[in-house]
Amino acid sequence: MNAVDLHAVTKSYGRTRALDGVDLAFDRGVTGLLGPNGAGKTTLLRIVATSIAADSGTVRLLGLDPHGSNESPTSPGDVTSIRRELGYLPQELGYPSDMTAFGFVEYVAVLKEWNDRNRRIREVRRVLELVGLTDLATRKIAKLSGGQKRRVGLAQSLLGDPRILVLDEPTTGLDPVQRADLRRTLSVAGGHSAVLLSTHQTEDVAALCERVVVLVDGRARFDGVVTELVATAEGQVWLADDPGPDSVVSWRTGSGRHHVVGGPPPPGAIPAEPTLEDAYLLLLGADARRARAAPTQLS
Amino acid sequence: MSGRTREFDRAAGIGRRFRGAGTFSVLRCDNVFMAAERRPSSGTTSTGTTSNGDDLDLVARVIDADTRALKELYDRHAGWLHARLMRRCNDSEVVADVLQDTFVALWKDATKFRGDGDVAGWLWGIAFRRLVSRLRSRKDVVLMPEWDGPTLGNVPAAEDEVLLGVEYGDLAGALRRLSPEFRSVVQAVVLDGLTPKEAGRLLGVRENTVKTRLHRAKAQLRGALSETALEQKWR
Amino acid sequence: MSMQTWHADRDLLAAYVDGGLGPVEGASVEQHLNRCSQCRRAMGPLVDAPALDRVWAGVLEAVESPPLPLPARLARRLGVAEPTTILLAATASLRTAWVVSAFVALSFAAAAAALSGGAALAPFLLVAPLVPVLGVASAYGPREDPLESLVVTAPYGRTRLILVRSLGVLVSVLPFAVCLGLVLHGPVWLAVAWLGPALALVPILMALSCFVGPRAGATAVAIAWSGVVLLSLRGVPATWPVEATQQAAYAALAVISLGVLLVRTRQDRRIGAVL
Repeated sequence: MNAVDLHAVTKSYGRTRALDGVDLAFDRGVTGLLGPNGAGKTTLLRIVATSIAADSGTVRLLGLDPHGSNESPTSPGDVTSIRRELGYLPQELGYPSDMTAFGFVEYVAVLKEWNDRNRRIREVRRVLELVGLTDLATRKIAKLSGGQKRRVGLAQSLLGDPRILVLDEPTTGLDPVQRADLRRTLSVAGGHSAVLLSTHQTEDVAALCERVVVLVDGRARFDGVVTELVATAEGQVWLADDPGPDSVVSWRTGSGRHHVVGGPPPPGAIPAEPTLEDAYLLLLGADARRARAAPTQLS
Repeated sequence: MSGRTREFDRAAGIGRRFRGAGTFSVLRCDNVFMAAERRPSSGTTSTGTTSNGDDLDLVARVIDADTRALKELYDRHAGWLHARLMRRCNDSEVVADVLQDTFVALWKDATKFRGDGDVAGWLWGIAFRRLVSRLRSRKDVVLMPEWDGPTLGNVPAAEDEVLLGVEYGDLAGALRRLSPEFRSVVQAVVLDGLTPKEAGRLLGVRENTVKTRLHRAKAQLRGALSETALEQKWR
Repeated sequence: MSMQTWHADRDLLAAYVDGGLGPVEGASVEQHLNRCSQCRRAMGPLVDAPALDRVWAGVLEAVESPPLPLPARLARRLGVAEPTTILLAATASLRTAWVVSAFVALSFAAAAAALSGGAALAPFLLVAPLVPVLGVASAYGPREDPLESLVVTAPYGRTRLILVRSLGVLVSVLPFAVCLGLVLHGPVWLAVAWLGPALALVPILMALSCFVGPRAGATAVAIAWSGVVLLSLRGVPATWPVEATQQAAYAALAVISLGVLLVRTRQDRRIGAVL
């Protein structure tokens, strides 16, 4: 039984279709959700985090249905049971202005039913240590930098080593060193949790995720192992002096030559090793150009 | 004052003979009174300034909510504070509570600390005042060292004994010859750093009484010193 | 002064710690410690390490998780569970400022009513039921609650949190208002009669909030109640708003509201939050 099992999930906001029949199933390990803005990533994460309900389709988290239906109304216990094993880092998280980092995480710990004071304090210290904020624990959150605030948010999501960990853009605002630390933390978490993280950065997916789902316009365009996705770009990436007009996407590298993805090979081109980014761009192809041109949809 | 300074130098010479080191410049009458009057003390010995500087850096970090700095300050100061408190009050639970309150107060009030003062002295001030206020209602706990009892066992090393004998032999006697009221005033104000007002509250007398007694104790001690052969020894 | 300084050797410090030094020697050591960080540090290992560790653990805990403000501590004293007090302490409508302004508003209203002679109870009857209603509205949290998404997805539950906060608000405000009610002229039952509308308006507010949100709901309730009280200035006795018939009407509306809330718990495709 997978920890997370979604089938044919749809969700609309007014006339906008944010999710259009998405299947998603994963268990322990780190799964990446990749996609352009407006693809529906945040909506999907919110459904997995039980923050909103799907309009249709089946959702099973840890084998339980968080929604309930007319035929089988969910007991309040089901959703609560799921939430006891859930950690969530929303895309935008605000903090009460005068709380300290420790106080904030402790508050969330109380919401997560850590009722015994000693155990709670030890757990708060543990997660703050995991994200490297032990020395800043007693500082007011208002005085922390953006990346540090994000780490406070990450810390609260790690409380209790939840079986399902949902992280919406956890790497924004982090510098390369902090991202490396995050990768370490998440790879450890992936050992016992089902981690779902969304990101724009293909390097994060490449470094951190075993599986990746590419979401475009509310549909899953790819769902599989990262190496498989990279393999789809095999033989379609070159280095050339002149890109030519037929490539899917190309750019000038620092060395002066052009990195060309897709389309027929330009004259004098040397094949290059494909990266995840190449595969992603190839997959988006025309979709990406359209998505970038269109106004940002509700995600 | 310059005459007194020459005494220091002579004593330094004597000290060196015994240990190859400098003076045990502690309970020398003038030293003590001068130190008290110079409050807040500025820690002017060579080791004093550098480490007080470090302490000040730590306090600055504590103001910035750095718990590691607080731990470092704790490691430096909790030990001697504990021992010194225990010499005033033999209830270890009370001492532990006071010690905890002191460092929590340090955390909360670090901004109140004037940036150029003496951290060790400030901490003792907080700790001792807390101890005093806590024990004010309890009359059974010892707050002052036993001036009248015999010197207990645990004899210090031979060299120290000689040194102490040279340094204090007669000063100790002079202190013991002070009446108890004068002694307690000297202990509270000069040695423990209370203000005359606080000492008055602790001892149950008026502030003016404390000041008068202090003044007369000073005069007595100076008088006692000149009577002894100390100065002859140090020629 | 010599640049080389004397330091106390280990035995001397140990004697000091063990209490084996006489008063003069002890005082000497203390004066030396005032100035010598090296000897201070040297004394550290000689002092009871487990005791010092215990004290440090206490210091760290007090610094990381400071004691809650007074109202929360009072609540704890009265038997409220510790986790609940933590949640309440973070509630805006239980902050000192809010409670104080509630008290002030009620006091003014009572004073106005008392001073104007027995006839005009309107100020008090207007304000007293609205104070708890506004308090409960603010128990929903700020408009853009920074923690909203975390509260919704936590096992504790948003509904439970709102109810606990509302209870906290009511408990903190109602007794004071009852006492003020006793100051008023008029029949004694007046002092508690206004509780009828107060306790009825709360579920009405909650039911409205399900559809239009707490702010709009509170505004609607406030306007409606003001209308009722102002009517009492037009030729009916001052106690009209809280007389028996009217109380029955409020109670009926409250029951309907509770029904609405109950229906919402049964609605399908809802994630958790009833309120």
